[in-house]
Amino acid sequence: MFNKILIANRGEIALRIIRTCKELGIKTVAVYSEADKDSLHVTFADEAVCIGPPFGKDSYLKIPAIISAAQVTGADAIHPGYGFLAENANFSEICLESGLKFIGPSPEMIKAMGDKAFAKDTMKKNEVPVIPGSDGVIEDIEEAKILANEIGYPVIIKASAGGGGKGMRIVWEEAEFQKAFQTASTEAEAAFANGAVYIEKFIENPRHIEIQIMGDQHGNVYHYGERDCSIQRRHQKLLEESPSPAVDEDLRNRMGDAAVKGAHSVNYEGAGTIEFLLDKHKNFYFMEMNTRIQVEHPVTEIVYDVDLVRQQIIVAYGEKIETKPRKPNGHAIEFRINAEDPEHNFRPSPGKITSLHFPGGFGVRNDSHIYQSYSIPPYYDSLIAKLIVWGRNREHAIMRGKRALNEFIIEGIKTTIPFHLKVLEDERFKSGNFDTSFLEKF
Amino acid sequence: MDLDLIKKLVKIVDASGVTDLEIEENGMKVKIAKKIRNTHVVTQAQIPFPTAQPVMHQASSKTDETTKPVKEAEQLPTNLHEIRSPIVGTFYRSPAPDADSYVQIGSEVSSGSVLCIVEAMKLMNEIESDVSGKIVKILVENGKPVEYNQPLFLIELT
Repeated sequence: MFNKILIANRGEIALRIIRTCKELGIKTVAVYSEADKDSLHVTFADEAVCIGPPFGKDSYLKIPAIISAAQVTGADAIHPGYGFLAENANFSEICLESGLKFIGPSPEMIKAMGDKAFAKDTMKKNEVPVIPGSDGVIEDIEEAKILANEIGYPVIIKASAGGGGKGMRIVWEEAEFQKAFQTASTEAEAAFANGAVYIEKFIENPRHIEIQIMGDQHGNVYHYGERDCSIQRRHQKLLEESPSPAVDEDLRNRMGDAAVKGAHSVNYEGAGTIEFLLDKHKNFYFMEMNTRIQVEHPVTEIVYDVDLVRQQIIVAYGEKIETKPRKPNGHAIEFRINAEDPEHNFRPSPGKITSLHFPGGFGVRNDSHIYQSYSIPPYYDSLIAKLIVWGRNREHAIMRGKRALNEFIIEGIKTTIPFHLKVLEDERFKSGNFDTSFLEKF
Repeated sequence: MDLDLIKKLVKIVDASGVTDLEIEENGMKVKIAKKIRNTHVVTQAQIPFPTAQPVMHQASSKTDETTKPVKEAEQLPTNLHEIRSPIVGTFYRSPAPDADSYVQIGSEVSSGSVLCIVEAMKLMNEIESDVSGKIVKILVENGKPVEYNQPLFLIELT
């Protein structure tokens, strides 16, 4: 087994990884920016190295500092967590060249799945349904019109070079197509200096359903069911659950098998998540693949009784996956507690935690790096805690979630705890009938 | 606040040998300082460029908006200056195992003198002094790892 792992991350995920390392008898090295010198992951690790000033680009994103820290401490592997360098193919490559095992996929794999067109193609070849659309950019408006008819309205015209809603037009019928195509193109040209567009079927108010997969170096790939992450604000997840109220056993098997097939075809190694869109007719379409452990992994861990970080580490060492999936047991919900003020448009609320009490009791899990009198630095994302509850079924999980959130005391800063309590009271949420438009109507 | 003027001033400072520029006009004071702190010369052509950092004060207000990334040092006597490591790596007193140390206690150094090497990812980074003075303390043992901003030397300023 690895002797020493350096965790190239911070906050709750760094703590999460350190915990599993301790259970595996692996020594740990924490790296930290100057803003994080009082952070819990620094205290919990066996060794800690200061790698730079507060800003991410000077510390947690600074590859030479991290590799150097691994070298001076004699670490033999690096766990990148999520975010930061977790899906940086360059970092994966440099680890390889430096003789350090990157706990995650190879640089080629990261590049492949990071290339949206390639990922979509790979899935298509493996008969995984993908969002129907053009093969790359489409220049001729007549050709585009024919394709749109084939796909079936509504379609969405998207800027190839863009994002953030610019150069995007939803078209509901053929009569509007020409104008929409031209304006989308012009807008894209103005915003990104590139007027190229492609078209896709527009999935109205989809649910975001993702499948957790794990692959080892012996060719085994398994899936551990789905997570429903439809409750989002500006494409940021706020709350996740497993199983999804919209997915029955049959759909789970079909989506899971599709995910495994796709991952298998690229000899995927490590933890990964395949994201799908589920439309109101229960058709699922591949959206993208994330080649890392995700924030919301605990809901899967609880329902499938698997330590996903542990599997990541043993698989990286060359062993076979220990815990095979079986039927999901009960229902888990994760609440992302952010240092944000829900009453004022979720604006960030960094500061000092003057009073803290974590909820406890049966079926309650806290993944957090905060402690009483901790000052939340303003340089990083606002996630300060993940509260995960398990119940025998969804209703029970909701009840327990309410109970636990009401016990959760964080004073000195604003948090999203009141927001989550409101969500749990919402009739649509309770019914399980919601999609990614939930928050707009909330 | 004329942002264009500020931008022009920053460019001038950046491009020239000027390290400090202070202008006061109509109750507004602008101070631009170029920090060349512990630049390290790397044997392969990767030289970090000193960047000009505009620092703006309102003459009437007392608040200082600058953010200094340097750790608050324990109170050092004003004639003592700490040299800190700008990178994570391994500290070496000499350019090669059998060569003489760059400096000893008592060595006189000037701004730009090489004091030591911090090796990171097989690159030997020469750490230079940013002040003139005398080495009074060497804070790290040869061959030991150092982290970002760790104090390496104490120099008595002349």
